Amino acid sequence: MNEQDEALKQVLQRAAPGPTDCELKRDLWPEMRQRLDRPPVQISLGDWALAATLLLCLLLFPETIAAVLYLL
Amino acid sequence: MTGIVEAELERFTRGDIQAFEALFREYQGEVYGWIIRIVHDSGAAEDLTIETFWRIYRARARFDPCRSFGAWARRIATNLALEHLSRRRLEKSLDNGFPIRAPGTGTPDPAIAADVCAKVLAAFDELPAKLRVTARLAMIEERPYAEIAEALGISTNGVKSRVFRAIRLLRKSLEKRGVRP
Repeated sequence: MNEQDEALKQVLQRAAPGPTDCELKRDLWPEMRQRLDRPPVQISLGDWALAATLLLCLLLFPETIAAVLYLL
Repeated sequence: MTGIVEAELERFTRGDIQAFEALFREYQGEVYGWIIRIVHDSGAAEDLTIETFWRIYRARARFDPCRSFGAWARRIATNLALEHLSRRRLEKSLDNGFPIRAPGTGTPDPAIAADVCAKVLAAFDELPAKLRVTARLAMIEERPYAEIAEALGISTNGVKSRVFRAIRLLRKSLEKRGVRP
């Protein structure tokens, strides 16, 4: 870094100082544990059937794509 | 630095929850400290720390116990922090608001005029997320280039190049705003 870059660095450090405290104040494990215990998202058979029907409709009638996009 | 032994890392890769808990407790502070330096928001840093470890847990089978767990965690954390910054920038542009200083960040030096300070912050905020993060870690936090390179998954020369580009863009942007540091 040349002198000019060093000056810019100094201005930056004064104008946008970093966080005053980087220490973690509490244990995050209980939240992590909750996240791990959360059941994975289940997709029901009905949802799969609906998605398959929609896909089939789009393949057979491509002109409906615009209507589906509009409804989304 | 760490009391985690290779055997524990191996147990973690096999999905042992106790080994994962030991790793979590050992590294949560380090990961949080790394993330808050990038995002400057303690609440977001906590959420991103949990998200980082969640991704670590899901990707455990791909981890090589011979490699540094800390470096791997920092890399995942950096990617998440970058995604967070991009999302926040998009929200800000939708709000059309001025950058808000996150709680817990240091206050600007009173010797610098408020308008200069605002212009510098605005110019810095305009940098592309990757350049901004690299410049923040290198120029404000003064982290070693090698550490930044590892976290960003690029070479040390890549870090130097990003810092150089960030400086050039910052200077241009500040000159447009009538500031010559």
